[in-house]
Amino acid sequence: MSKAFRFWGLVPAWALMLLTLIVPILIVAAVSVAERGAYGGFTWGFDLTSYRQILFTEGWTDELEFDPAYLIIIGRTLAYAAGATLISLLLALPVSYFISLQSARMKLILVYLVTLPFWVSMIVRVYAWLIILGNDGLAERAFRLFGGWDVPGFLFTPGAMLTGMVYSYIPLMILPVYASVEKLDPALIEASHDLYGSRWTAMRRVILPLASPGLMAGSILVFVPCLGTVLEPMLLGGGKQLMMGTLIQNQFGGARNWPFGSAIAMLLLAMVIGVLILNARRALARQTEVAP
Amino acid sequence: MKKILLATTLILPLAAPAMADGSLNIYAWADSISPELIETFSEETGITVNVDSFSSNEDALTKLQAGSSGYDLVTPSQHFVKIMVDEGLLEDIDANEMAAYGQLDDRWTGQWWDPENDYSIPMAYGTAGFAVNRDLYDGPVDSWSVIFEPTDLAGSIAMLSYPDEVVSAAQLYTGVAYCSEDRAEMKKVFDLLMAQKPDVAAYTSDNIENRLGSGEVAAHFWWDGNVLRLRNSGANVEFAMPKEGLVGWLDSYVVPAGASNVDNAKAFIDFMSEVDNATAQYNYYAHSAPVEIDESKAKYTPENAPELFPTVPVVFARACSPAAQDLVTKVWTDLLQ
Repeated sequence: MSKAFRFWGLVPAWALMLLTLIVPILIVAAVSVAERGAYGGFTWGFDLTSYRQILFTEGWTDELEFDPAYLIIIGRTLAYAAGATLISLLLALPVSYFISLQSARMKLILVYLVTLPFWVSMIVRVYAWLIILGNDGLAERAFRLFGGWDVPGFLFTPGAMLTGMVYSYIPLMILPVYASVEKLDPALIEASHDLYGSRWTAMRRVILPLASPGLMAGSILVFVPCLGTVLEPMLLGGGKQLMMGTLIQNQFGGARNWPFGSAIAMLLLAMVIGVLILNARRALARQTEVAP
Repeated sequence: MKKILLATTLILPLAAPAMADGSLNIYAWADSISPELIETFSEETGITVNVDSFSSNEDALTKLQAGSSGYDLVTPSQHFVKIMVDEGLLEDIDANEMAAYGQLDDRWTGQWWDPENDYSIPMAYGTAGFAVNRDLYDGPVDSWSVIFEPTDLAGSIAMLSYPDEVVSAAQLYTGVAYCSEDRAEMKKVFDLLMAQKPDVAAYTSDNIENRLGSGEVAAHFWWDGNVLRLRNSGANVEFAMPKEGLVGWLDSYVVPAGASNVDNAKAFIDFMSEVDNATAQYNYYAHSAPVEIDESKAKYTPENAPELFPTVPVVFARACSPAAQDLVTKVWTDLLQ
């Protein structure tokens, strides 16, 4: 393959990246420092008000004061995203391990089943949870039937929102974890037992380290979309607490403050990039650790 | 090969607007226009009609501000018509020379949102208030206190997810003027909503029929005609008549600036305003008609549709100054932080 071909062959990909990824992000960045229009919209300019607003707003007494409202929203978003990631991780590990123990044919079927929900629109899947968690819904009936507990509606609670987030994104955790667990050599686990390692030691010293690339990849794939989630907080959480996704959406709708919405979007982007860089550095450190 | 593929990808979006001839793209409130009328209009004129829907005025405004929305006809409420006119987002369609204008009730001409009747033809009007599910709640519904300072309904209330109507209603209840720029006054509104929050199950504007009809919540902030439709479908619901007043709205047909099918849009407005069609639309939409209708064929009367004939004052929402709008936003953000 000639050098020229390699260059020109990649031009479409680069152009697509530039037009559909880089340019829109630059526009968002430019809007975040633009001046807000009276009724939404904006005029080009350079104004850092939007970024200042993340920390300081005019209070009920007319004075600029430190306002933790947005920091609380950001903190809450991080906490929920981390929570959803952790729950997905704990659920995905045994599921992946179970799949990896099946026959080749069964593996194929199970992995296919894991990806099956992606064929249905996200909104429809989240609406399905409205029925499951709603008043007198499946969840309530199940609790009544099996546990004898008469629990009032789960819907519109943080738990419902977290359930929705885990449900939506867990396939993104299972697939990479499965990929690394599947490659696990059973002989290594056997060897750890031969060396008087308990089950727990085998888990901690053999399985987890070997599966960690999959765990890391899965965690990022779940954590990142959870940061920007909009549907679950609105539909399942009842919209009572703003998350970064809904906060951004509000700025372009009801609040009519596009620059501030863009500023929050840039902050969200910075957080995502931060997570990715952190992960890349860890991976790099691990490589240099192993290499010599 | 790749170059050809790329070229095709680049050209595709350019090809779409070319089909615009003989079509009409409508952006209206969800389920607000009778599908049968749209079909009849298409058959009579050969114009292909596409309908997209929005569930808040803010969504419609944002779409138009973003530019080249591709829509030829939008149906925002009065205060948003005012904003859109001021922002130069609407096409001057000489509405006062259209046939539809002649059908209008005099009450709705020369209003503050379009004093010269250049841009808009009213489509429907009504009120925003709240409804209760009578299977779950049998108390009085004669005041906003029932929902804003709930006792029996605590924990079983849902409000809309946008501040527009909710803050207006809270202003009616607290006696604060719409669009107040007075921080101390708006603090009262905030305090009311904040005290109500623990008793609110959800802030949401979607899927209201199910939530209220199925009894997921016992009270829901909602619009008059929607309550009527839900009641007629068999649900035991009642639209409240709070003595402090209801929030009034009037939706109008407007044409976005630079729309590619202005004539088709005007033809559709005239079509919808003909007496027979306006009557059919009234019977479908179940919101009051600002144009002349055939009373003998009208499905809703004060006897069978009390929702549409309010017995309490109706106060129309206004277009707020940016300062006042910021306070509304602050109430909402601080409420949901």
